[in-house]
Amino acid sequence: METRPFETKHLDKWKSNLDSCIRCGYCYEHCPVFKDTRWESDAPRAKMIMIYGLLSGKLEPSAYISDKISSCFYCQRCVAACSSGVPLTDIITDAKRDFQGTEFETPGTTSVTNTDCALCLACVRACPHEAREFINGKIVTDTVKCQSCGICVDICPNQAVATHLSYGTDRSSLNQEIGTFLDKDNAKAIVFGCNWSYYPDLQSSVMDPTEDPEYKILINMCGGRLEKPLLLEPLLQNAWGVLVACCPDGDCEHDGNVKAKTHVAALRELLKEMDIDEDRIQLVQIAHGDKTGFQASIDTFMEKINELGPLNNR
Amino acid sequence: MEKIDVPRLINIVGEDNVKTDPADLYIYGSDSSVHSARPWVVVRPGNTEQVQAIMAFANEEKIPVITRGGGSGMCGQTVPVKGGITLDMKRMNRILEINPSDVFCRVQPGVVDDDLNHALKPFGVFYPPTPASSRIATIGGEIGNNASGVRSVKYGATRDSVLGMKVVLPDGSLVTLGARTRVEATGYQLHKLIVGSEGTLGVVVEATLSFVPIPKFRCLGMANFDRLEDAGQAIADIMASGVVPSMLELVDSVAIKAVNKTMDLGLPEVEAVLLYEADAMVKEAVDHEINAMQQVCKKHGGTGLTSSYDAAERAKIFMGRKKLFPALSKFSDVLSSTSLADDMAVPYSKMAETARTIHEIAERNNIIMTAYGHCGSGCMHTKILMEPTRQDQWESARTAVAEIYEYVRSVKGTTSAEHGIGISKASAFKAEKSDSLDLMRNIKKAFDPNNILNPGKLMDAHEDWVTATDLRYTIA
Ligand SMILES: Cc1cc2nc3c(=O)[nH]c(=O)nc-3n(C[C@H](O)[C@H](O)[C@H](O)COP(=O)(O)OP(=O)(O)OC[C@H]3O[C@@H](n4cnc5c(N)ncnc54)[C@H](O)[C@@H]3O)c2cc1C
Ligand code: SF4
Ligand code: SF4
Ligand code: SF4
Repeated sequence: METRPFETKHLDKWKSNLDSCIRCGYCYEHCPVFKDTRWESDAPRAKMIMIYGLLSGKLEPSAYISDKISSCFYCQRCVAACSSGVPLTDIITDAKRDFQGTEFETPGTTSVTNTDCALCLACVRACPHEAREFINGKIVTDTVKCQSCGICVDICPNQAVATHLSYGTDRSSLNQEIGTFLDKDNAKAIVFGCNWSYYPDLQSSVMDPTEDPEYKILINMCGGRLEKPLLLEPLLQNAWGVLVACCPDGDCEHDGNVKAKTHVAALRELLKEMDIDEDRIQLVQIAHGDKTGFQASIDTFMEKINELGPLNNR
Repeated sequence: MEKIDVPRLINIVGEDNVKTDPADLYIYGSDSSVHSARPWVVVRPGNTEQVQAIMAFANEEKIPVITRGGGSGMCGQTVPVKGGITLDMKRMNRILEINPSDVFCRVQPGVVDDDLNHALKPFGVFYPPTPASSRIATIGGEIGNNASGVRSVKYGATRDSVLGMKVVLPDGSLVTLGARTRVEATGYQLHKLIVGSEGTLGVVVEATLSFVPIPKFRCLGMANFDRLEDAGQAIADIMASGVVPSMLELVDSVAIKAVNKTMDLGLPEVEAVLLYEADAMVKEAVDHEINAMQQVCKKHGGTGLTSSYDAAERAKIFMGRKKLFPALSKFSDVLSSTSLADDMAVPYSKMAETARTIHEIAERNNIIMTAYGHCGSGCMHTKILMEPTRQDQWESARTAVAEIYEYVRSVKGTTSAEHGIGISKASAFKAEKSDSLDLMRNIKKAFDPNNILNPGKLMDAHEDWVTATDLRYTIA
């Protein structure tokens, strides 16, 4: 494919913003990419440093850098945490623009379509960011527009959509975490929390397993990308319950909460049909940043689950 | 990249825990300071044995090793001036034990301060040194810098909360320092020496920390002063009156302007604002302390006195202080907030004069500086707002920094209260500690005869911080 040379055309305007970044690192804490690898190179601050390096000529463009910069779920947690008002995601998008079409362009966390695609165009219609297009008989993702929300991954009936890099947010990683946790003695429930709610848990550290927690919070990028089988998986593995946390109505940029609500409602129906208490799957809507509210919801849920007892009791 | 046996390091920690891409080296070459350099390789040990093996290898080959926590140091402590191995400790992030009956906890060095406090909360206790950067600062980095924070006026700095530690020495051997008890008089307290040593003596692989009960009542108050001197006098009087504030913060006019300009908080445009807090298990005790502090403020012309026990209300009062960093960064489109002359401590009676002198020095040198800080512990912070792309501004900054620390020494203050020395405060540090530098060099030699741990810092740092490393800004 024809490529164009890399130029910092869109990035140029951000020079002074990047000087105002005090490199405090406050943007790391909740970044799902950093939290997954725990390499500083995957933290939002590193993205800014790399972009600074490109602008100042101290770094040569590379596919490695492009991949790091294109690995972003647009959860905006870094923007909210930034102590200097640096518009990180706008800068990241412009960096992606400058990489687009060059020999270095990489998909990062954006979605890719494989050969199993049946061309049903469901994903094209579902993409909330108009990032999927049907071009020359193929579905193509615009890596600049794509915000890695994963809606297309969930909607594809043929499982033909995937992300090249998922940083622990994909189905198989989450499934694995579910399995590992539920193997523990005291494990009872899985809480799916979206990266938007300031989840009340340790961020970068871990407790040694002296205490056996009853539930585990698994962070995903958006309630909307939790497929039904994944939500059901904990119950199949004998968990006592599943709690799904998503944004309040109207707050989700990808309308993922609408989908999460539909999924959970359908699963509750299913449980009822199977003569299982439907309250074993619940959904709560948590306002952005409401750590206390999230913890309170978890506590109420756990109270209910403990009342219901193990799943084989029904 | 310099010649270094990367496969040997991969052998120790595994391929997934070694980075050599130029982008990684560039990222790991800076921290929150103005400095920038590049390591040859970044390595992430997962346990003590791996740290030991890396150190033994580095010592044998005489390769510099820079231990790194969150990389939030403000003076270039983790900038690898002489290249070498950056040892990223963030993988050693386990809280190993919380022991409420013996009042200590054991943690690995990569545990983040906020996480530790989150884990301690259910036990009704907290780890108090907590710097403002607690959301990313690691216990290892806090030990390295002897970090402290807003509540250190009552609860002390990191050094006061560290009971003991396990340390890997440059030759790869492991030593256990300190104890698990509240008091210890068993020979040299070497763990206290490691605190504040900025990664130059050993690699901390485990720390035993004490904690204190979370007080049931906290009350935060505020007072405005038309004259900086009056606020300064109020600070000195409060500290001399026998009151024990749990927080006593000063915010100057530049900071107030910045906050008002960018956040529209509508703070009164006075010369200084004092924020004071008291905490205790019974409300009467808090009332007593708050009243006493308000009386002192009144006596010195403090106005607009407000106070509150309510958490939400306290957060509102504290907002201006909390949002100071963003406010300073957004002060102007062309000015950047640089971490220079960032921290110092002076006797209480010199607080106001120090703030005034900082403003005068800034004006004389064509830069903007603000003065604020945990004045209850004698700590004063500044930031230099300047155009970092202009060479002449760096000349001004160099002069201003030198003048400020000369003044600090003249009033018997000290170069750093909590951010440490690193590269950018090294010349001031050397001037202040001139008669004990040789002793410090000998101690360094006893721990690290090959000078592999964080070389080019403290006593070993370049005389001129401006040219000691690349600056992380692009200068026209
Ligand atoms: C916005 C902002 C606000 C800040 N506020 C405060 C404040 O209020 N109070 C304060 O004290 N500081 C403050 N700091 C400075 C800094 O964040 C703290 O000193 C913090 O403790 C550094 O922690 P870190 O994990 O980032 O350490 P790093 O910067 O990674 O390292 C600091 C030093 O410790 C050494 N070190 C790290 N880990 C180890 C280890 N395992 N063994 C031996 N040595 C080690 C390093 O070599 C280095 O010399 C602030 C910084 C920023 C950016
Ligand atoms: S938007 Fe989210 S995923 Fe992207 S860099 Fe910021 S915190 Fe990380
Ligand atoms: S929080 Fe903002 S100022 Fe701090 S490192 Fe991240 S982008 Fe820079
Ligand atoms: S649905 Fe989401 S992940 Fe898929 S292309 Fe659109 S923005 Fe990207």
